[in-house]
Amino acid sequence: MSARPLERKPFLAVAVTVAFFAWLYLPIVAVALFSFNSAKSLSVFSGFSTRWYSDFFSNSALLESLAASLRIATVAALGSLVLGTMLALGLERITSRPARAVGAVTLMPLVTPEIVTGVAALLLFTGLGFKLSLTTVTLAEITFSIAYVTVIVRGRLGSMSPEVEEAARDLGCTPWQALRLVTLPALFPALLGSGLLVFALVFDDFVLAFFTTGVDPQPLPVRIYSSIRFGISPAINAVGTLMLLVSGLLIVAALLLPRLFNRKTSSLDLITGGERR
Amino acid sequence: MTAGLVERSRGRTRPRRSSQHTRLWGWLLTVPTAWMVAFFVSSMLVVVLLSFGHTQADGHPVFGTTTKNFAALWDPVYLELFLRSLGYALATVVLSVVVAYPVAYAIALHGGRYKNALIAAIVVPFFASYLIRMYAWKALLSDDGLVNSGLRKSGLSDGIAFLNTPWAVVGGLVYGFVVFMILPVYASLERMDVSLIEAGKDLYHGPLRTFVTVTIPATRAGLYGGMLLVFLPALGDFVSAQLLGGPRTYMIGNLIQQQFAEGQNWPLGSAMTVAMMAALTVLMMVYLRATTTRTREQS
Amino acid sequence: MTGAVPSTTRRSLLKGGLAAGAVSGFAGCGFVPSKEKPAEEPLPKSAKAKIDGDLVYFNWADYLDPGVLKGFQKEYGVKIIESNFDSMEGMYAKINAGNQYDITFPIAKWVVKMRREGKLRAIDKDQLSNADQVYYSGSYFNDPWYDPKSAASVPFTVYKTGIGWRTDKIDAMTGSWRDLWNPQGSGHIFTLDDQDEALAMAALLLGYDVNTAKASELAEIKKLLISQKKYLRGYSSDDVNNMSGGDAWIHHMWSGDFLYTREALAKKKSDYDFEAPKEGTPINSDAYAIPTNAKHPGTAMLFIDWLLRPENAVKNINYLYYPFPVKDAVGTFNDLAKEVPSCDVRVEDLENPDVFRLLPADQVQARAAVWTEVKAA
Repeated sequence: MSARPLERKPFLAVAVTVAFFAWLYLPIVAVALFSFNSAKSLSVFSGFSTRWYSDFFSNSALLESLAASLRIATVAALGSLVLGTMLALGLERITSRPARAVGAVTLMPLVTPEIVTGVAALLLFTGLGFKLSLTTVTLAEITFSIAYVTVIVRGRLGSMSPEVEEAARDLGCTPWQALRLVTLPALFPALLGSGLLVFALVFDDFVLAFFTTGVDPQPLPVRIYSSIRFGISPAINAVGTLMLLVSGLLIVAALLLPRLFNRKTSSLDLITGGERR
Repeated sequence: MTAGLVERSRGRTRPRRSSQHTRLWGWLLTVPTAWMVAFFVSSMLVVVLLSFGHTQADGHPVFGTTTKNFAALWDPVYLELFLRSLGYALATVVLSVVVAYPVAYAIALHGGRYKNALIAAIVVPFFASYLIRMYAWKALLSDDGLVNSGLRKSGLSDGIAFLNTPWAVVGGLVYGFVVFMILPVYASLERMDVSLIEAGKDLYHGPLRTFVTVTIPATRAGLYGGMLLVFLPALGDFVSAQLLGGPRTYMIGNLIQQQFAEGQNWPLGSAMTVAMMAALTVLMMVYLRATTTRTREQS
Repeated sequence: MTGAVPSTTRRSLLKGGLAAGAVSGFAGCGFVPSKEKPAEEPLPKSAKAKIDGDLVYFNWADYLDPGVLKGFQKEYGVKIIESNFDSMEGMYAKINAGNQYDITFPIAKWVVKMRREGKLRAIDKDQLSNADQVYYSGSYFNDPWYDPKSAASVPFTVYKTGIGWRTDKIDAMTGSWRDLWNPQGSGHIFTLDDQDEALAMAALLLGYDVNTAKASELAEIKKLLISQKKYLRGYSSDDVNNMSGGDAWIHHMWSGDFLYTREALAKKKSDYDFEAPKEGTPINSDAYAIPTNAKHPGTAMLFIDWLLRPENAVKNINYLYYPFPVKDAVGTFNDLAKEVPSCDVRVEDLENPDVFRLLPADQVQARAAVWTEVKAA
């Protein structure tokens, strides 16, 4: 149920929230601001200029990195959506011990620090003699993103009533039809939310990508990470601002999309996969 | 096969399942399981195997059967490092809770029409590059950076050395991972029956007491989930310490990364990885046991 | 002075081999002991300088003027596909993993290692029209210490490591590495986050060889470095931003980075100065080389030739503030460095003993263990 208006606005909570937003956005505003800086400095603003943007758009290496990142993130999101949803559905319905063991193993990537997953992926690929490439990056990213989808979709499944599906089958649907026509549409917010989440995580991931990149154009965060030890150039600020814009547009689109399907679905469901009462 | 069985996780009796139905779910499980075994389990296995290896004279790591890598880990320096990382991760969790609750509370219960926009506004920056945002902090907080210039100009202070301290590292960790606390807590708050708070206020006569005795237990599921999602990446993080840290803020993540980079000792790095994963698994099991039974009632 | 590489004993080879056999299924050559190559195997032949595809380029980030890269693409109609590494170990690991780059930029001691392992192919100077810019009569690089007869590499930059400091914050420096323990700078001192550099700095202060791996000497180095921590603000290789952001008053620093900070970023140049400590300064150089498994070595040869053109070398010098040994471009660097003679690096300096040499794995690990303990303490 929607919140009934409480008696008075809690001043402290609101103050903290305002401060939080300021803190959250301060570096982003700084990055955006300094991406228009005419000088190379990151602390003194000398004048307005779009040179870093023209540098970026004429720098084919950076553009190709951006394209590579987008490709990897898209394929990884789709791949982990498919596999993660299959896993969530299977785990929710089958409660035998082997299934629960599988469930536990699937959660392990969430527990594993990224440095470990990166190293493990590298060792596996080189140990098997695979050539590193964007494909190996994508395979690794899918493997470590499945858990996010599974958790979110299972959460949504858990709060869905099974009666509708039962009813569909009583009416003569095969299990596959019930899945396709009833369960999956009902899962839509969770699918969209987890897909977006995985896209964001993979798009920005540098640890796993760093270890598994080959000679293909490297994903953008790897490029950024390579320079971070020695200091990044202001051109990277332009990159960051653009990445933020792209993501911002994505989120806005994702928030508006459910309105086309079901007006009552809360956009918050996208991320938490939960149901609002 | 599952006919008449009590569904354990739900505590409800389920009607007879058609075997056709169960078969479908079974098939659905096999493909992702095969994937996970092929890529995840095997990669972890390789790490474990390499931890028993050694590095050849020409620098190449090879498999072997030595335990000297694990023996090397009994150095008190490594234990101290682990405890330090644990401390930072715990501090990160505590600070995240302190920040997340007011924010989630304000948005969930007082956000009104703007709720979704506000949540989106929290999530969007999270999509912008983590590295760039952290590096921006480094520029902003430097001694001659914008924050200190502002402090000096406004006369508030002569300038504070923010960077290269443990607080800068923890601050960076909180900045990077607090979203993982806000979202689950928000989701729990949304699901909570708000009249509980009203009732609590009547009973306990104070916002703080109400908060502790009513709100927190009611949002337990979100809280526990958030704590896990913040603690784990914070523990293994190396970027914050690398960018914002000082001479005494070295974390496990930095240590492991070094073995695979400058240290040129992949077997030792693998052994450290295995040790850390073992420690984490133990912690996780203890944590889950402590929180699961109560969460089951909650959900 | 090069550390001799002990041949792998039969025992360790067997042990590794047995374990590898036990781990059946790993068909790739990943973690099976590699055969020791005899040192005098001839280098894989040089490619002819002609376009044979896009250039797969592997270098530090932001290490060449983007205009130079763009110019090459325009002149020859090929693309440059860029990958970056952030450490030599990372570069080596990627090449070892089988990635096929056309050109890479190893530091001197890594040229030694890669050449010895047959990972580099010969670079025929006759194929390079601008070869005389570097290989003129009497040039040091005709036979540098790291690459006999310069068979497999072309020199890129030369640099030294010293101490950059703020003249407006620090009253006086003593011209010694001890300045990194200066109490007046306490809380504003940085040491490079680099194993070789940090250990070398302490070694020089104690009078030891910069490549030492002797247990007793390493123990003293460790004690010395740990004693620095109470004055230290951090270990960081981002010297440019630490200095220009005001966090650092005294920084263990690379000569080119100092020049860049002073000339391109400083509000007041006279606030910054650089000293080359009297105990000795590590000298290092890097080079470009073509890996043996390069798919387009011909394009790589043309790229090297392109970089050797004086006008491109000038662009790179103005971008990086490091000296390039390109004959007709040397003047540019001298102009940049004229106000800070301590930053000047001359090619002859490469003959001095303070260069980082290739060491066998057990010595590297002894040094790495010390460095880890210093950082974790």
